[in-house]
Amino acid sequence: MNTESIVFIVLAFFVALFSVLSVTTKRIIRAATYLLFVLFGTAGLYFLLGYTFLGAVQIMVYAGGIVVLYIFAIMLTGKTDKSKQYTLSLGKRAAALLAALIGAGLLMFVIISHQFVSKALDANITNEAALPISVIGSTLLNAGEGGNLLPFEAVSVLLLACIIGGLIIARKR
Amino acid sequence: MFDFSIVTEWINNLLLTLMPQWAATLVECVLVALAIITLYAVFAIILIYMERKICAFFQCRLGPNRVGKWGSIQVLADVLKMMTKEIIDMKNVDRLLHKMAPFLVIVASMLTFSCLPWNKGAGIIDFNVGVFFFLAAGSIGVVGILLAGWSSNNKYALIGAMRSGAQIISYEVSIGLVMLTMIVLTGTMSFSEICQQQADYGWNIFRGHIPALLAFIVYLIAGNAECNRGPFDMPEAESELTAGYHVEYSGMHFGFYYLAEYLNLFICAGIASTIFLGGWAPLHIVGLDAFNQVMDYIPGAVWMIGKTFFVVFLLMWIRWTFPRLRIDQLLTLEWKYLMPLSLVLLVLMAVCVSTGLTL
Amino acid sequence: MSNNNYFSGLFCGVRSLFTGLSVTIKEFFTPKITEQYPENRKELKMFDRFRGRLIMPHNENNEHKCIGCGLCQTACPNGSIKVTTEMLETEEGKKKRSLVSYQYDLGCCMFCELCITACPQNAIEFCTDFENAVFDRTKLVQQLNKPGSKVAEKKPAVKPAAPAATPAAKPQTTDAKSEASNLETNSAV
Repeated sequence: MNTESIVFIVLAFFVALFSVLSVTTKRIIRAATYLLFVLFGTAGLYFLLGYTFLGAVQIMVYAGGIVVLYIFAIMLTGKTDKSKQYTLSLGKRAAALLAALIGAGLLMFVIISHQFVSKALDANITNEAALPISVIGSTLLNAGEGGNLLPFEAVSVLLLACIIGGLIIARKR
Repeated sequence: MFDFSIVTEWINNLLLTLMPQWAATLVECVLVALAIITLYAVFAIILIYMERKICAFFQCRLGPNRVGKWGSIQVLADVLKMMTKEIIDMKNVDRLLHKMAPFLVIVASMLTFSCLPWNKGAGIIDFNVGVFFFLAAGSIGVVGILLAGWSSNNKYALIGAMRSGAQIISYEVSIGLVMLTMIVLTGTMSFSEICQQQADYGWNIFRGHIPALLAFIVYLIAGNAECNRGPFDMPEAESELTAGYHVEYSGMHFGFYYLAEYLNLFICAGIASTIFLGGWAPLHIVGLDAFNQVMDYIPGAVWMIGKTFFVVFLLMWIRWTFPRLRIDQLLTLEWKYLMPLSLVLLVLMAVCVSTGLTL
Repeated sequence: MSNNNYFSGLFCGVRSLFTGLSVTIKEFFTPKITEQYPENRKELKMFDRFRGRLIMPHNENNEHKCIGCGLCQTACPNGSIKVTTEMLETEEGKKKRSLVSYQYDLGCCMFCELCITACPQNAIEFCTDFENAVFDRTKLVQQLNKPGSKVAEKKPAVKPAAPAATPAAKPQTTDAKSEASNLETNSAV
């Protein structure tokens, strides 16, 4: 067991703990905060793997962007105390449990059938030289072989559509 | 130029002879953390003293001059006072979030603080996406501010948090774009490489001439707003708006916000000196070899800290000159002036770099 | 049109910012006006218009200018002045009012200077003394006329003042000033 494994276990425990807390807590603002810690843990995993760019993106976009957006939304909508009494009916609970079990089963199947765990343990996670930012940039904005320009542009069109949709909903008639 | 990595490598090798790899890494982490915290505290004390003196001088006063010679240990006395003050528990607040929020702010501040390159080979967090990581870590602080406002169970604190949050999020756009402008010039996101380039080819503010100079000004304005300072210090406006998000905090919990505010000022100035003024790179003038030789003898850390304090002085000068902006004026300034300007600067810099107009 | 406003506003704004910065940087280097009080107690001099406490100047013959008319007492909104007089008979057989005691309560005074404006003789004025704290409020009640002092006769009082050039110069100018202010208040009334 090397240092990376110890750090990985600590991070994984951290992520799991706060994921559970995030869904079990009754206060919505706390749920958002726990989600923040989950995202920190995930970013930590990326840093552990040496993918600093992805780790920084994780913190920047999710922790700094999405969670702040959630908190803003919660603050603006308010009235969190009244939603506490909201309970699920028995049928819905059963459906949720079933969906969760199927999801977990699928994930476990994928993980076990591809032998990620044993491969990772064998391969002795190596911190290769981190991917240079110029490579990421040119791959992302490359229309040629192996380039990702089309998905990049598609996502930007999607975001534009979201902005316009939001404006139309928010606009006063 | 003295390479500090000689020292760190020597320590590393020394530790490796004494203990296994993982223990050595652990000891190094603890040492670095201690160094960061010490530096953090020392700089906070220096900055608070400097702020009080400079504020006084701008207002034709003398400032603190009773405790110690020229009031030099006044801040220590204040720190002692702050530490011994009671931390008050409010009724009907979310205890956990209320206690956690200051730590989020200070953690974000410390993470960004450790991004600064102190000398050649003396950057604490230094990897290929350093600038990006800096921006990411800086954005955690907003969460702390918003949570502080929410968990205080006080509508003034809540409104203050929304105000500060909106301000910081808005100005992050400008900061990001301006940093991107300079990254276009340097072609790298690693702080150590940015500094090394400037040591080799001259400071960025000279290399990038007009766009870099304008970017520097935009950075100073946006950075000032990002630190909740200067003419943008809404949370400080006790008389007009109560103290904003930290109105319900007392003792050291308030102290954390106070510390983070001053250190954010230092970090903002430090990043400005890193990406515009060359970081630890000494001042070289083409053609004056003897002068350059003398400049090389000054250690890099002195250059870095000197430049940083110069920018801190600029920021303090701005702060004690201009009156506060209203929140709508503040957002207008960002979205109607600074952001379009920084977008134009980005394009201008890209054109300059691609046509080889940089020096 | 609106575009023009946008850019001209931007440049004007930036220029005005630099004006502000230049003003403050000048202030940064000017000598500071802070008085470090307990240390410079010996040489600290208050500015002339400071209203410390009321005094009644006496000349070298222990003479003051108060004729005991009591105008200051009536002018005082707080009743901090109490003038006691007696009637004396001069050699010519005229009856003349004379000051016995002029009591001034510093604790009641609000430094409005109405008494000084009211005084027809310029007999009282504010001095620049500011260390007026005492431990007992009865000590705040002061008698302004010195024991054994008497009213300065108009004619002889001017004569000895004239040769003593420098010390006399200042009171005269202040007299002129306060007379001018008297005139102003009179005309205002």
